[in-house]
Amino acid sequence: MTLHKHWKGIALFLLPVGVMYVTFFIYPLGYVFVVSLTDFRGFGSMEFVGLANFRRIFEMTNFQFGLRNNLIWALSLGFGQVALAAVVAMILARKPPFWRFLRTAYFLPNVISQVAIAMLWYTIYRENFGLLNTALRAIGLDHLALNWLGNLSTALPAVILQQLLYIGYFMIILLAGVMSIPRSLYESAEIDGANVFQQEVFITIPMVKSIAVVAMTLAMAFGIRHFEATFLLTGGGPANRTMTLGILLHRNLHAANYGRASAISAVLIIVGALIIGLTRHLLTTRSAIEDVKQ
Amino acid sequence: MKKLSIFTIALVVLALLVPAVFAGGGAEEPDEIVLEFPTFWVGQDSKADMVEYLVNEFNEMHAGEIRVEIQPMPDTDGYRSTINTRMSAGDPPDVFVFQPDPTTFGFYGAEGVLMDFSDELSGEWGNRFSGGTIEQMTIDGETKSIPYEVGVTPIWYNQRLFDQAGVDSFPETFDEAVAAFEALKDAGITPTSQMTGGANAWTSMLWYSHIIGSIGGPDAWDRPLSHPQYEQAAEMLLGLYSDGNTTSDAVGGDADVSGGHYLAERTAIFINGPWYIGRIAGDAPEVHEATRLAAAPAVDGGHHGHQVAFPQSNLAAAHTDDPERRAAVVEFMKWMTEPENVAMITEDAGPLFSINYDIDPGVDPLLQEFVRVQNEAPFTITHFEGAFPVAVVQEFGTAIEMMVAGGASPAEFVEILQDAMD
Repeated sequence: MTLHKHWKGIALFLLPVGVMYVTFFIYPLGYVFVVSLTDFRGFGSMEFVGLANFRRIFEMTNFQFGLRNNLIWALSLGFGQVALAAVVAMILARKPPFWRFLRTAYFLPNVISQVAIAMLWYTIYRENFGLLNTALRAIGLDHLALNWLGNLSTALPAVILQQLLYIGYFMIILLAGVMSIPRSLYESAEIDGANVFQQEVFITIPMVKSIAVVAMTLAMAFGIRHFEATFLLTGGGPANRTMTLGILLHRNLHAANYGRASAISAVLIIVGALIIGLTRHLLTTRSAIEDVKQ
Repeated sequence: MKKLSIFTIALVVLALLVPAVFAGGGAEEPDEIVLEFPTFWVGQDSKADMVEYLVNEFNEMHAGEIRVEIQPMPDTDGYRSTINTRMSAGDPPDVFVFQPDPTTFGFYGAEGVLMDFSDELSGEWGNRFSGGTIEQMTIDGETKSIPYEVGVTPIWYNQRLFDQAGVDSFPETFDEAVAAFEALKDAGITPTSQMTGGANAWTSMLWYSHIIGSIGGPDAWDRPLSHPQYEQAAEMLLGLYSDGNTTSDAVGGDADVSGGHYLAERTAIFINGPWYIGRIAGDAPEVHEATRLAAAPAVDGGHHGHQVAFPQSNLAAAHTDDPERRAAVVEFMKWMTEPENVAMITEDAGPLFSINYDIDPGVDPLLQEFVRVQNEAPFTITHFEGAFPVAVVQEFGTAIEMMVAGGASPAEFVEILQDAMD
């Protein structure tokens, strides 16, 4: 093994990013793990408490709900949202009427603040004068009108649904992939008698698989770190049913319980890395890796 | 050229001397005690004008002896951190606004930092204050901050809706309340506004605090969560969520839901502080006109008439061994807590104070009601949020939701809170 002849130049170019990465990511990450082993309350000394914070959070009901819900969020976005985005991308790739307008329309919510979107859904879900209940009552389905965000059974699905529908970001990624597939492949399949469904299953899906894995990884990362919409719509309630680790982390920071907050962060980082690593391991085939390399 | 240079030098010397000569006009006179008073009650703060007026009046009355100098610090967060830093360094300002919270109360234990007013307050001066408020600010027998601005949160009820339901007066006991609630429901009116959402389930947290006060009296919060009063109060709170006694969106609802129902006359009973008067007067003038205030119904054999009032701003001073300086500080504190003086601030800007006083009958009738219920209260207790750590308060709404959903008994409600204490 010999050093690259331009190694000094390469190192010089990598140095600024490397320094920033270590300073603003590796060091804070290490600090989070260190603080998670202490009882730090924001002032005074840090007493080492070993794994006490971790033992405590795993006993807490709200943490258990938070961990469960974060997994549900990751799977819902990773599989549900990306699947929906893929379907829409495949339809738009066939360039139906107004496809350019539809592409923009689907992407538009991604440039709107999450706070504004959450407030919009609050007006849809609220029990009194909410759009959903008003519509249900208007068509005689009064018995279905619920306190959607206050009901133990409906709160989590309601919050996830409002997020699931905003597929624009992944739709754009997948659409770019689908549109880059050579048209000749579809023309050949059509000559061989393949219908539209078969063309999508046997040409489109294998060809965009590597891009879909990237999209799913991103979606699961968004799911694992989910915070804003739930915080604004339910605050983690009712009775912890929509709790997420992000909200719990926020609460512990607000209570100046930095040791416990750091332990929650550490779990969030570890669980996130595990889920994403496992997903990529299960879904990424050698050919897909090769595709990306090529 | 030479003439010009001399002239220039003379001008420069004059320019340097003139401000120095005039600046001498503000210098303290011999033996005059100057007290620095950094405060955020300046600029756009509603109390700014009246506080400045009172300080000027005090300075005029004590000209040549005591002078209080306001140091404007309009940023409240910056003020808080500055004061905390100065207290940490053992050098607080001569007189300042003490924002009561667990951090600032932590400085009570620091030797030689804050002035202890317990001797002076044990005399006639202490009688000015609302029942229980001095005790709330006293730790280990030392009163190192004086209760001042206070948030009073009595029960609000809509007299017109009560009349519609044939209920003559606000119930004084929970047994009477049950009968009144039934009458209201028969008239198609939901009795109470409640909420479990927000950071602290505000409306329900205040109801719980009123009930705890009725069961436990002025020292109710001194009892640990293992005391049966907490479970008993939880059972009564559950009753307020049952049998249609509140709206179905109370679970998960926030202050907008709770207040919105009251403003829209969908509910007849609500709880909040005087800061909500502007909202109700602007958004629902007819409800504002129909609103009366009362003490919460008493539990069987419990206390009645008390109010839930929590300190918002206290007054404090730096410890000093100089008796004359100490006397000057006490004199200023007595002036700022004169019933007539705080009445002027209330009439001008609306805040309430933990002092017994009357206000001009010409001001907003609801504000007068606030002063009346506060003066009539035999004692006040702080709210649940002021009595327990943030971590416990954060779980309060969740605990109600669990109880209302049938997932927790009142005893388990308390266990959830106890669990959060660890």
